[in-house]
Amino acid sequence: MKLRTLLIYGSVLISSSMLISRAAEVPDYIENHDTLYNNLTVEKRDTVVELRARSRSGEYLESAVDLADPLRLVVPYTRSLFAAAFFEPNPKSVLMIGLGGAGFHRVFTYAFPGARLQSVELDPKVWELCQEKLAFKPTVLTPVAVMDGRLFVKRNRERWDWLILDAFRGGFVPPHLKSQEFYRECAARLSDRGVFVTNLHQDTELFAADLRTIQSVFPHVLLFQTHGRGNVIVCALKSADSDLMRGPDITALEKSNPKLASKLDLDALAAELLPFPVELAGKARILTDDFSPVEFLDALKTNNTKNR
Amino acid sequence: MRAPVYSRRFFGRFRCLLFRNIALASGRFNNPNPAVPLVLFYVLVVLLGILSMGFQLLASRLLNPFFGSSLIVWAWLISTFLAAFSFGSIIGGWISNASLSQREKSQWIVGAMAVGSLAFTAFFGRALLGQIEVAFAEITTGLLVACLALFFLPVTTLSSFGPQCVQYLASRGTPPGKASGLIYGVSTLGNIAGVMLTAFVLIPHLPVSTLLYLWLSVSLVNLTALILLLRSSPTTSAK
Repeated sequence: MKLRTLLIYGSVLISSSMLISRAAEVPDYIENHDTLYNNLTVEKRDTVVELRARSRSGEYLESAVDLADPLRLVVPYTRSLFAAAFFEPNPKSVLMIGLGGAGFHRVFTYAFPGARLQSVELDPKVWELCQEKLAFKPTVLTPVAVMDGRLFVKRNRERWDWLILDAFRGGFVPPHLKSQEFYRECAARLSDRGVFVTNLHQDTELFAADLRTIQSVFPHVLLFQTHGRGNVIVCALKSADSDLMRGPDITALEKSNPKLASKLDLDALAAELLPFPVELAGKARILTDDFSPVEFLDALKTNNTKNR
Repeated sequence: MRAPVYSRRFFGRFRCLLFRNIALASGRFNNPNPAVPLVLFYVLVVLLGILSMGFQLLASRLLNPFFGSSLIVWAWLISTFLAAFSFGSIIGGWISNASLSQREKSQWIVGAMAVGSLAFTAFFGRALLGQIEVAFAEITTGLLVACLALFFLPVTTLSSFGPQCVQYLASRGTPPGKASGLIYGVSTLGNIAGVMLTAFVLIPHLPVSTLLYLWLSVSLVNLTALILLLRSSPTTSAK
């Protein structure tokens, strides 16, 4: 009798756990959108909404937001973008080229409540989905302009404390956002202690060329490697002040911004600091508006798809 | 620095062969082998196709730093090239139907305009785009002005040689329909070669400015050779 009861309970338990795990696997909805520039997929699974773009290597996760906890950074590299705070801990105005799902924005507005975060997004559908599906509500402090990032940098005369370039079109950045001339335009729009931040993929030939090009414009370049993801976040400093090169000061940042420290593991972030690959970058060619074979360097890879 | 002897000999022979073929084709000498100038003629037609469509990719690279790489840029660029193909074909049709003296004069004028406008784009393109970008706040207007100023004339003049090539073949006994089909078929193959060569070989290895100088040089040689070749087609002025 006891054995029979145990068997019944056991089978009920197993089948219910199978049902629960299957429920977690099946998304609430999947939508595909053919936009002007991308083929996008929006997928909601429980409380997490993902925005993915189709690239040659499959689907590339652009952004993800946990609607139940918007301050949780679901995509790991977005935490690495905050490495800029080690070098300019009090940004008043930030420009972000590439909106995605605005996962970064929620933590930024929480940690820097008075600061302005201007975003520029090329694809109007991304902007629409970001509001409708990823529940981003722009405010006076988080305006969004729908236009080309380089055009915005050229035409807007404001100065930025952080300038973040995270503009991917299906895992690929357009050549005119990778040239020495563009980085110079960005540097010209930064405040004196401004930080230029960009998201690079480590496993292609483009990585070395990118580093060499950025290094040709900015006096100090520091790298933060998102653990196990293939993303390397570049923090390029406008100031030649050697004090800034001392590296991340976790204690100072914790003290100046406890809100940020409460949302990010600053120790883990500081541990992402990567030595600059001098030899690798030294061999690469500087990318310019005149010579910028970005698509081809991006295609020359060891294996640039494994971590995307 | 002087070129090595073997190199001078090779290029000397090549030059002689080229001018001899053009001269043969243009009727200066009796032609012992009519297939030779015809092959040269088709090579020139293919080159014309390469120059036209390869130039579109170079144009996009020129525009991108100033206007981005959005769909708006491509829409204006493609429309400009198609308008230039259309306008060039009409002009080419008029020229091929003109009297011999008018035709020769027009061919040299159009050829000079093609080379001159390509030289303008190669030498002053970037500077002009910088001015246009500042002058026009509205991206669409800026793009229209930029496309017209830098790309319309070179492509119009290059494509005006298409109908003249049809006329050349037709005047040599090929039925007009067949001549037209051959020329547009061959030049479209040139278009494909131009796109692939530019995208997969030239842009990954050479700066855009160098490629524009290359385009200018090849156009100069190609159009000179083509005009000399076309001189041999008889007058068929329709009154």
